[in-house]
Amino acid sequence: MTSQSTESDGSKASASDRDPRPVTFRIARFTPRPQSERPARTNPFAKSYPFATAGNRRARGRRWTQEYTIRIAPQRTVLDALLQIKREVDPTLNFRYSCGHGMCGSDAVLINGRPDLLCTATIADCLSVSKTIPNVYASPGVATGNLQAQQPPAFRRTGTTTTATAVSMSASHSGSVSDSDSDSTVPDFLATDPRKTATATKTTGLIGAPHPTEKPDPAESSAVEIRPLPGFTPLRDLIVDTNAMFEQIRRFKPYLLHDDSSADSGQADRTKAAKTEPASEYKQTPEELARYELLSTCIACGLCQSACPIYAGGEAFAGPAAMIAAARFINDSRDSHRQERLEAIDQVDGIQACQSIRACTRPCPRGIDVGEEMWKLVEAVKE
Amino acid sequence: MNAFILQQLTLTFRPAKSESRGQRTIAEDHAMTGNHPRFRIVVKRITHEPGVARMASQRGDLPVGGHLAARDPPDDLIHLLGEGKFGHGTHSARASRHGPEEPPLSIGRDSINGMNPQKVRNRYDAVIVGAGAAGLSTALGLHRALESDGNRNGSSPKVLVVSKLQPLRSHTGSAEGGIAASLGNQEKDDWHWHYYDTIKGSDWLADQDAVRILAEQAPSIVIQLEHDGVAFSRTEDGHIAQRKFGGHTADYGGHPVKRAAYAADRIGHQILHALWQQCLRQGVEFAEEWYVTDLVVDPPTDEESGGHARGLIVLDTHAGKLQAIQADNIVLCTGGAGRLFHTTSNSWDLTGDGMALALQSGLQLEDVEFIQFHPTGLGHTGILLSEASRAEGGVLRNSQGRAFMQDYAPGHGDLAARDVVSRSIMAEIDADRGVADPSDPDGPHDCVWLDMTGIDGQRMTTLLPQVTETIHRYAHLDPTVDMVPVKPTAHYTMGGIPITDRGRVYRWQDGRRRIVDGLFAAGECSCVSVHGANRLGGNSLLDACLFGTRTGQTIAAAMSNADKPNDITDTSPLVQILQKRQAFMDELLAGASNAGPSEPALADNQNRESDTSDRSNLNNPYALMGRLGRLMEEAVAVRCDQSSIEKGLRGLNQLDADARQLRAHSGTAVLNQEVTAIMEVDNLLTLARAVLNASLQRRESRGALYRSDYPQRDDEHYLAHTMIDAEENVSWQPVHIVDMPPKGRNY
Repeated sequence: MTSQSTESDGSKASASDRDPRPVTFRIARFTPRPQSERPARTNPFAKSYPFATAGNRRARGRRWTQEYTIRIAPQRTVLDALLQIKREVDPTLNFRYSCGHGMCGSDAVLINGRPDLLCTATIADCLSVSKTIPNVYASPGVATGNLQAQQPPAFRRTGTTTTATAVSMSASHSGSVSDSDSDSTVPDFLATDPRKTATATKTTGLIGAPHPTEKPDPAESSAVEIRPLPGFTPLRDLIVDTNAMFEQIRRFKPYLLHDDSSADSGQADRTKAAKTEPASEYKQTPEELARYELLSTCIACGLCQSACPIYAGGEAFAGPAAMIAAARFINDSRDSHRQERLEAIDQVDGIQACQSIRACTRPCPRGIDVGEEMWKLVEAVKE
Repeated sequence: MNAFILQQLTLTFRPAKSESRGQRTIAEDHAMTGNHPRFRIVVKRITHEPGVARMASQRGDLPVGGHLAARDPPDDLIHLLGEGKFGHGTHSARASRHGPEEPPLSIGRDSINGMNPQKVRNRYDAVIVGAGAAGLSTALGLHRALESDGNRNGSSPKVLVVSKLQPLRSHTGSAEGGIAASLGNQEKDDWHWHYYDTIKGSDWLADQDAVRILAEQAPSIVIQLEHDGVAFSRTEDGHIAQRKFGGHTADYGGHPVKRAAYAADRIGHQILHALWQQCLRQGVEFAEEWYVTDLVVDPPTDEESGGHARGLIVLDTHAGKLQAIQADNIVLCTGGAGRLFHTTSNSWDLTGDGMALALQSGLQLEDVEFIQFHPTGLGHTGILLSEASRAEGGVLRNSQGRAFMQDYAPGHGDLAARDVVSRSIMAEIDADRGVADPSDPDGPHDCVWLDMTGIDGQRMTTLLPQVTETIHRYAHLDPTVDMVPVKPTAHYTMGGIPITDRGRVYRWQDGRRRIVDGLFAAGECSCVSVHGANRLGGNSLLDACLFGTRTGQTIAAAMSNADKPNDITDTSPLVQILQKRQAFMDELLAGASNAGPSEPALADNQNRESDTSDRSNLNNPYALMGRLGRLMEEAVAVRCDQSSIEKGLRGLNQLDADARQLRAHSGTAVLNQEVTAIMEVDNLLTLARAVLNASLQRRESRGALYRSDYPQRDDEHYLAHTMIDAEENVSWQPVHIVDMPPKGRNY
C-alpha cells in the first residue's frame, strides 16, 4: 500500500500485494496404495466417516507433508498458486477445482486450519491471518447463549475436560498456524496417521487450543498450510470423498414436490405430474421467494459440514448441508410437503443432533447464516 | 486382421441397422431417397418423428416439429443458393498429422490379455455423457417420456449419466444473466420477435427451422424449469420476472424488450441445481468423475448410413481403471471448449471433450470457427464482468485514457454489440494502446481499462453487486476509484457436433445428412444450429434445456418403438479400442518411476529456481495447455487473418510433438489428474486444429469470426455451415433459410 512500484496510470490499491514473492505452501499429500479389488466406491452406502468405521474403510497408502516454495503475488488466490505448482513444479499434486470463482463448490479444503475454497482464499488472507479472523462466527453463538452447557461430551475424543475450549472453535479454526503442528482442534485424520508424531502434536495442540485471542504473529505465518477437508475421507492428496455428504442431502428429498393430492410422493402422482402440461408457472410473490432464496444459493461445497464438530466428529448427524437443502424446500411456498419434510428431519440424526454451535456459519461462501437457519429449523420442528 | 473384423462387423450388424432405421423418421428416410441431394435436407428437417409425435400428443406439452410441419411446409427456401457454390469442398488426400485418435500404441505389449469380451459387461440402453444443463435435461426428458409412456414392458431401461464432474460442479452453474423466452410477463412479447432477434444475432448463419423451434417452445421450457424448482425472481404479482438483454427487441428490431427470465444473477446455478434435484427424484443413475476416453462408431456400411455408435471407453478416475460400455443410445453433452484460449470465462474443465471425441471417431464438426468472446473479462482471470457494468455507465479507455469506443461505433459507443466491442478492444491493443494488468505490471500490454469511476458508489453496489464483488475479490481494486483491467474473454462455442433438431448426430456427405444411428448430442458441444455465427444472450441455457429435453424424448420414443433391444453380442470393436486405450494408459503411467509414489523425489528438485528457465524441463499437460492457450489467442482470438492462422497451425505441430512425449509423473492410476489432463490436452489439440482450419477456409467475416483480410460478410459464397473432420476435409452445408432472407446486421 505504501510502495508504488507499478506504473501509476492504473490503480493504486496495495501495490505491494502485486509483487510476486516467495511463498511456501505446506500440503498434506496422500497416495493410496493400489488395490487389487475394486475400491469401496462401488457401494454408495459405504460409510465414509473417518471414525465411524474403524480402519476397514480407511484407504491405505503413503502420507506425507510436502513443501513447495514458489514466487507469487499475495493478491492471487490459493488456487492460482496450486495451479502454478502443477504447471511449474509438481504435476502430481491432486486437488479438485473447476470454475475458479466460487460457484461450483468443488475446491473446499482446509487452509491454515480453516475450511475455505481454494479459489476465494487469497494468499494475502492466509499470510496475514489477523485480517481474516473475524469474530463472525463466535458472536452468533454467544448471542444464543450458553453453548458450553449444550456441548456434547463426546464429540472429540481427547481433551474432554475443556468444554469451554471446544466451544472456542474460533480460535482453533483461526489458523494461527505457525508451523507444522497445525492440526489444532480440527477433527483430524492424523490421529490414525502412521506419523505417530502427528498424534502427539494434536494432543498438545488441543490443550493449547485456547489461544485465546485472534492475534497471530504475522511474521511467523509465512507458510500456507493446506489439508483435505475434515469430516470427509481423503481419497488422494486434497481430494476427498463427497459421497457421504450427497447421500445425506438426498435422504431428505431435495426436490420440489408440488401436488394437490397430498399423500406421498409415490409413483402415482409422479406419473400424474409428468402428464400434466405446465401451462403456467406456479405463482410466488417476491416475499415468498425471499423466504428461501438465499438458501437456494447453496453450492454444496461442504465447508459447513467440515466446520461442524458434530458431523465431523463422527456423531450420527446428517450435517448442516443436508439440513440447509431440506430447509430450502420447507420454506418454498410452492412445495406441498412442508409437514412431511419437518417430520423427516426431526430425527436423532437429523436436526435433533444440532447443538447450535454455529461453527457452520462462518465458512459459508454464499453468505448463508447456516447456524441461524438450523436454529429456525429447530424451532419449526417444535411447533 | 482389421479387415477381417470389419468384414465380420458389417455382416453382423446389418440386420440391426435396418431394424433401427425403422425407428428413424419417415421424413429422414424420405430425405435420403429424394432426388436433389443438395437441397433435400431442408425438407427433411421440418417434419417429425412418428414416435415422438405420438408421445407428444399424449403428453400434450410438446407442440413440436410436427405441428410446424403441418403448418409450414418449407418449400422454396434455399433457391438463393447457387448450385455449385457448396460442393463438398476439397477432399484433400493429404495424410493427417494428427489423425483420429492415435495414441502411441506400444509394440509388443501383450500384457493386456486381461481384456476380453467378457470384460465388456456393461450394457446400457442409453448413456449420457455430461451432467450440465443439457445432460440433465436429456436425462429428465428421457425418464419423463418413458414414465408418461406407461407400459415399460416390465423391465425399465438402463440409463446412465457419465460425467467427469459431480453434476453440481458443471459450468452451467456459472451462467448469470437469464434464459430467453417470450413469456411476456412484464410487457408484450411475441416468439416471432425472439425468432427474428436470434436470426439477426446469428448474422443469418443459424438454421431458421431450428431457431423457430427454439423461440416457439422457449416459454414452455422456462415454465417447466419453474415447475422443477428454479427460484426465478418474481414480479409483484407472482410471475417470473424478466429483464432486458442486448439484442432482445420488439417488433423485429424495434425497441428493447424484457425477455430474459432471471433469478437474481445466478440463473445457471438455479437451473443446474433444480435439474439435478429432479434427476434425484427420477432416480437417474450417475457415474460421477468418470472420464470418457473414446467414442466407438462403426463407419457407414452403405450409401445411406452415417455409421452406428457402439459404445464408449470410460476411465473411472476413482478406481483408475478403464472399462468399455456398450450402449444403444449415446448422448454427448460435454459443453464448450473455452480452454482452447488462455483467457476464458469457462471453467477449467471445458476442454471440448465431446467435440474431440466426435472428430476422433471420424465424425465432423459444424461451424467450429465461431467462438464468442465476451468483451469484458477481468484482467488475467477472464472472469466475466457483466455487460451491465457498461450499461450503467462504465467506459472503456485505452492507455492514453481515451474513450475509444466512440471512434469505432459512433452512436453505440460502449454498448455496441459484443463482437464489435471485442474487436475494438483488440484493435487498440494491436495499436500498442493497451495497458498491462496491474497484477502483472511487466507483462504484456494486452488489456484496456474499464472506467467505472463515473458511477455513483451507492448505485454501483445496488445495481452491480456481482461485478463489484468480483473486482474486489479477484483484482483487489475498488471500482469506484480504480480503473479495472479488462480484455476479451473466450466465452461460448457456437459450433459443435452437427445434430438434427431431434438431437441426432449426422454426417454431412454427398450433400445430405446421413444419420449416425444411436448417437445424439445436445447443448454447447452440439450445433443445431440456432446460434449461427454469434449467439444471442440468454439463448445458451435455452438451447441446452430445450434440445436436451427433445433429445431425451427422441430416445424414449426410439426405445418404445424398438421391439426388443438390439442384442449385439459382438463387442470386438469395443474391446479393440479398450485395449488400445489401456496400452496408452499403461504407457503414460509407466513413465513414472515404479517405486511407488515418486512425488517426493520430484518435488525435491524444486529447490532449484522453479519459476523461470526450467519450465521446459517439465513437460506436463498443464504447462502445455497454457502454451496452447497463448497460441490460440495469437492465432484466432477475436480477429485473425491468413498469416496468423497459418502461424498457429505451424505452432500446433510443435505442441502435437510435445504432447506425444507427455507421461504421467506419478505411477498411481487412482485419481491421477495428470492422466486425465493429458487426454484433455489431446482433445484440445485435436479441436484446435479443426478450429484453425475451419477459420482458414472461411474467407469472410461474419458474426464472431473476423478475418481482417476478408472484412466483409460474403453471402454469395459463405452462407453455409463449415463441416470439418479430423482429416481436415472441409465441406459446406447450406443454411436453412425459412422465413427471413439475409439482411445487414447493424446494432
